[in-house]
This record gives sequence, structure tokens and C-alpha cells, in this order.
Amino acid sequence: MSSRQSIVRWFLATTLMSLLGAAAALADDPLVYATIEPAQIYLGESAHLTITNLGDGTNPITLPVVSGLKFEIVSRTREIQIINGTTLPSSSTVMRVTPQIAGIFTIPAVTPKSQPLVLQVNAALSGAYVPRADNRRAAPLPPPILSGGSLPKGVHLTEDGSAYVRLIIPKREMYIGESVPVEIEVGMRSGFVSSLNGLPKLTEDNFTLNNLSHQPERSEKLINGEPFVLFTWRSILSVVKPGTFSLSAEAPLTVKIRTRSKRDALLDDRFGDPFFQNLFGTTVPKDIDVTSPPQELKVLQLPAEGRPDDFHGAIGTFSIVSDISPAKADVGDPMTLRLRITGSGSFDRVDSTMLDHVDQWKTYPPKSSFNTSDPIGFGGMKTFEQPVIASKPGVHTLPALTFSYFDPSTRRYETARSVPLNVTISPSLADSTLTAPQVAANAAASGSLKSPVGLRPDHVDDQARASSLTPLYLQPKFLAIPSFLVLAFAAGWVGVRRRRDEEGRSIKREMAQMEAAARAGNETLFFDSARNSLQRLFAARWHLVPEDVTTAEINARMGADNDVHRLFALADESKYSGRTPDAADFVQWLRIVRDQLTGEKSA
Amino acid sequence: MSALARSLCLVAGLLSGTLPTLAASEPAGYSAAGLYNLANSYARAGKPGMAVLNYERARLLAPNDPDVEANLQFVRSSAHLPPETPNTFDRVAGTASPFLAAWIGIAGLIIVGACVLSGRSSARHRCLRHAGILVGLCMMGLTVFSGIALWPKLHAGVVIVAATPVRVSPVPMGDALFTLAEGETVKLAAEHEGFTLIRSRSGRSGWVSKANVAPIAP
Repeated sequence: MSSRQSIVRWFLATTLMSLLGAAAALADDPLVYATIEPAQIYLGESAHLTITNLGDGTNPITLPVVSGLKFEIVSRTREIQIINGTTLPSSSTVMRVTPQIAGIFTIPAVTPKSQPLVLQVNAALSGAYVPRADNRRAAPLPPPILSGGSLPKGVHLTEDGSAYVRLIIPKREMYIGESVPVEIEVGMRSGFVSSLNGLPKLTEDNFTLNNLSHQPERSEKLINGEPFVLFTWRSILSVVKPGTFSLSAEAPLTVKIRTRSKRDALLDDRFGDPFFQNLFGTTVPKDIDVTSPPQELKVLQLPAEGRPDDFHGAIGTFSIVSDISPAKADVGDPMTLRLRITGSGSFDRVDSTMLDHVDQWKTYPPKSSFNTSDPIGFGGMKTFEQPVIASKPGVHTLPALTFSYFDPSTRRYETARSVPLNVTISPSLADSTLTAPQVAANAAASGSLKSPVGLRPDHVDDQARASSLTPLYLQPKFLAIPSFLVLAFAAGWVGVRRRRDEEGRSIKREMAQMEAAARAGNETLFFDSARNSLQRLFAARWHLVPEDVTTAEINARMGADNDVHRLFALADESKYSGRTPDAADFVQWLRIVRDQLTGEKSA
Repeated sequence: MSALARSLCLVAGLLSGTLPTLAASEPAGYSAAGLYNLANSYARAGKPGMAVLNYERARLLAPNDPDVEANLQFVRSSAHLPPETPNTFDRVAGTASPFLAAWIGIAGLIIVGACVLSGRSSARHRCLRHAGILVGLCMMGLTVFSGIALWPKLHAGVVIVAATPVRVSPVPMGDALFTLAEGETVKLAAEHEGFTLIRSRSGRSGWVSKANVAPIAP
């Protein structure tokens, strides 16, 4: 039963493949493809140019002629495949391409319908990474599926030949803190890998991959005659510990494991189409981790000898340029000092401490930006923009800025320097120290003197000058005057009040004395006290001594017909005649005296 | 150097462009006429910001000078700045210069104090004392009015650079919120690290470089 089903399957497959093969054979003329591996090399290395002719191979292959490149035929292979009875001949010619000089070379197309190839030859042999962004602009991509009968260097397929991982490191030695661009290539045989289950990673914990691209580059390639889909990630490798490490990369995949016998599997491979294998249920999925072959990598510590004081860990190749704009400004005007650091390496260690040495200028924290020339941020230009303000007029020189880094290619510390910058600072208009004639002279010298219609003429300046434009009543010196006046008036008010209080107490004492005399019926004492009180009162009022306030003086100033004159007369009478007034008279005279003393009845 | 000689030198310098520098002989301090002449010179030199600034300063010393007022309005209109119309309060307060108002206030204080003291010591001439207190209070009120009217101007500044950027924070980075025209008068609210917080006549606030705005009362 099983044998009959297998015969039926093979019959159907053979029929379909015969139809497809016949259609392919009749479709086009023999195809010729060319590919060059690798497309980017360093001077002293060689690349392989492979020309594959999917035809009878009768067309002769002529060596390309490119100035600066040397072509040598390495091998010629010829094979014939018989698929479903159809003969498919093919031939390959492999040439070694050796550059004589560095540069970008265009190899002419081998046929009129194909595209030319581009080979980039870098001058640096030290492993310095050359950003590939320009490659995308300069070199058109090669055709997607090109030959390559042999296994590329560094490719180790899994046991079933379904996938491989390749870690491409451009150097075998690196320094702690150095950034090294790497590529991780995952090749998956078409139809045999069902999924890629995650990003590739390193197997060594001391290494880290920075800026790993989330979207890998996709391409297709024939490896060992089988079509492979390639995914390439680019990243920056860095390490934190010195020593010698065996480094490899791994990627999680789901592959299809064949369940048929090895003999049947060979037949499957002969047909080579996984569609039919899946169709006939000969594979099962399985999750595996594919690992690249280990590579030995030596990690060195940075040398302590010759380390500059201003070295902050930048490793790579850098150059710096500075400029300032505007070159002419007024005092207080902000200017922008730009420092551009160009090169490749660990830009994350490139900081702005070099701007700390801009003394005698008012500075603000700088702003930085990084324009990368490749997707992983290895090469590019970092720009620091620092606002600076000059505080004094004159021609100032911004000193040269220095930046120290370690160059792994020369294995020593280097210091990049910018050129000093000259800036002309003019006095600020806000100073307003100019006089009218100076302004007029400047205006005349600059040719901007105008006579606006409607501007009233100048005044004669013969006025007194004020030391400040702040109003006098807001100046502290002047405020001392009203403050002193207020204090003086307050003191006077207190003095007057105290004197009135003293007078009040004196009146009270005299009134009490008179009341006591009245109660005792002592007429002489009563009138004598009343007269003494009134004498002091009128003496103060008339600016006399109390003894001069006599009955005659009262008569002269106030007349004879008033109570004060009568009281003075009664006092004399009581003192000298011994007459005693009635008790009711004491009350009346007490009221009269009180009125006089308290001022209720003005004299 | 006499005023006539200075005026002649100024005219000669304006005409010939070979004006001798008189800075060494200029007396120190401010005068209304000097500031007015300086403002005229800036106006002729095509610098409306500095012209407005010095007219405003001249107006502090001589608030009733018609020439200062006329030239200030002329420069404002030439610079396409909105005119400033003083209100009644400002007119009343501006009847006397701040210098005169200060001494009037002192005199009023003396009158009030004397009348109060005399009233405490004697009851005579009560009406006269009350009249004296009223007059003294009016004189002191004039001084207070003058101070109230001048207070905003003492905390104002003039933009002296064309298209001055106003920023959201006191650092010379980032985009400007808006720009101020040269000669515009703004309120100065605060200072920080070489920047001044201003409030424009339209009510918008922001930070400008101190080099771009000058206070009216330095």
C-alpha cells in the first residue's frame, strides 16, 4: 500500500516538474550572472568574482579590464543537472580580483542585460570601520540570487543544512570601551526554516551589542547550490573585561526536520522543492538555536602611559572643528560657539568638558546633537552648541579647544585641536554712556545721519543736573528729611502733651488746696491760692513774671468789670482787711477759678 | 563749556561729521535738556529704541516739556509704535516735576505738623489751623500722586534692539515666543542670569536678554 502511494506521488511530482522545467527551458536565452564577494575589502585583500552561465557555456568569458584592478582566473567548473529528464547545464568561472589602489571600482557588466558590479577598496588595513551608508548610494545591489557553489568563509551549516549563523568581526583585538562594528548574518534555507524566533545574541556575557538594528537587511544567495535567505544585522560590539574570549552568536529558529529515510531524503534533495516535501508530509517543525563558529577575540586594557588629563574614554578616530557666530556682537549679546567632532568610534564618550575651559565668558550649558553616517551610530558628527556672552568690549580670542582620544589603529593617545577664534565685541547700547555729540558723530561717521521732518530742535543744556533719574522722594537720602520732620513733630507733640498734663496736675493740686481752704473757712488761704494760680496763668499768657500780674495789671488788660479783677480785689481785701465772704461765695469763686485755669472761659 | 558752545559744536558736528568729542568735558549726572538732545541725536541716527529711551528719561525730569512729548510721539509714530495717551491721573500728577513734587511734599508735611502742634498748645486760630492742615495734606497728596503715576515708569524698560526675541526661559536657546519691536515700552518684572522677564503692552510675558532692553530709570 505504501509502495503504491509513493509511486503515485512520484508520478505526479515528475509530471509537474517536467512541465515547469520545459517552461523554464523555453522561456529565455541562457542567463549569465556575475557576483563579487565581498563587495568591500581592504587594500591587500582580494575578492572573488564569479560568473555563472546557466546555459550551454559556449559563450567565451572575457576578463574585465578595470584600471587599478587585477583579474586572475582561479577555477572553472562545469556541471549538468538533469531534472525530470531535462538537461540543465551550467558553468562557473571564479576570478580573483586584487586591487592595486584604494577606491571604488566599477566592474563592467558581463552581458548587456546585467548590471555592473561595484567593489569598494578601503585604504585602512587596521580594521577601522568605514561607514557603509555611502555604499548604498554609490553601489547598486547585486542580483538577488547569485552563484556560489562553495561554502563561504565562516559559514558552518547545521547538520541538516537548513541554516547557519555567521558573526563577522573586522578585527581580532580590541580595547575595553572600544566600539567595534560587527555583522551577524543568519542564513536560512528556503522552505526548511519556518520562522526566526528572536533577535540574534552573543554567547559571551562580557560583550554587549549596542544599537542592534531591529530591521535586518534581507538578501538571497545560493549556498552549496541551495537557495538561502539571508538576514544581516549590524551592531556595535563593546566589552567590559580584558582577556581572551571565544565569541560566537546564536539565533533561535524553527526548522523543519525530515522524517523520511535518508535515501528518500536524497531523492527529496534531488527534486529540491520543499513544497512537495511539505505536501507529502515528510517534515516536522523543531525549535533550535543555531550558533556561529566561535572566534577568538583578545581584549586589551588601555595603556596608562601617555594618557592625557582630559581623556574621558573616547576611543576611535576623531577630528574637531570650532566656529562662533556671529563673529561681531555687542556686550551682552549671546553668541553660539559650535564644536563639531567628526570621525568614528565611541561617540557616547565624547562629552562637552572641553568647553569648560572657556574662561572670562558667561556660558550656558551646551546642547549636543549627533548626526550619524551609518545605521548603528559608529561614524558621524557630534555637534556641541554653547551660548557664550562677552562681558567686556574689545577684540577677544576664544582659545583653541582640545579633545583627547585613544586611537586603536595607532595604539596611542591622540589630541585633536581646534584653531583659536577671534571675536569683536562692541559696547552695548544699554550702557547709554554716550553723549549726544558722540551719537551724532557716530551717526555722521556711519552715514546714517538723517534729519527727520517734525523733530523739534535741541535745547540749551544749562539746567542743573540730577545724580539719578529716580524721583527725589524715592531716594533714601531724601527720605531722611521727611522722616526727621515726622520725628521732630512727634517729639513736639509729646512735649506739648506732657506740658499740658503737668499743667493739669498743677491745676488739680491748686483746686484741691482751694477746696480744702473753703471747707475750713479759711478765706485768706482760699483767695491767696486762687490769686497765685491766676497770676501764674496770666504770667504765662502775657509773657510776664507772676509778681507783675497785679490788680492794676488786670485792670489795665482786662478792665475792672470782670470776675478776675474782683477776685484779685477780694484777695487783697481778705489779706489786708480780714473780711470773711459767705460759704456760697467759695463755690462761686471756685467755679470762676476753675474756668480760668481750664481755659473754658477765655480771658 | 557753555551751553551755547556745546550747541554750536553739536550743530557743527551734525553738519560736518567731524564733531569733537565732548565726553571729557560733559558734567556728570542727568539733565532734561541733555537727555532730550541725546534722544534727538539717536532719532537722527535712526535708532528709535535709544531715542525713545532717552525721551522717556527726559520726561522723568521734565514731565511737562512739550518738545519732549512731541518728539517722543513723533519717534513712536515713525517706528510704527502705538501712541501713548496719558490719563487724567497722569496729567494731575505731572503738573509738577518729581523734583518739585518732592519739596512740595516736604513743605506740606511741615505745614501739617506745625498746625497740629499749634492746635495742641493753643486753642486760638482754629480755622486758620484747619485751613493750613488742608493745604498741607493737598501738597503731600500731590507728591503721593506723582509717585503713584511714576511707579510703573520706574519699573519699565525700552527695547533698544530691533526684533528682540522673547524666550520662554532665561537661556539663549530654543525658539522665540514672539519678538518685540525696537522702541517698544515693556514692564520689567524680574531678572535672572543676564535675562529680564518682561511683560509687553499686549500682556504677553517672556525673557529677553538684558542687552536688548534698557530700564528707563537706571
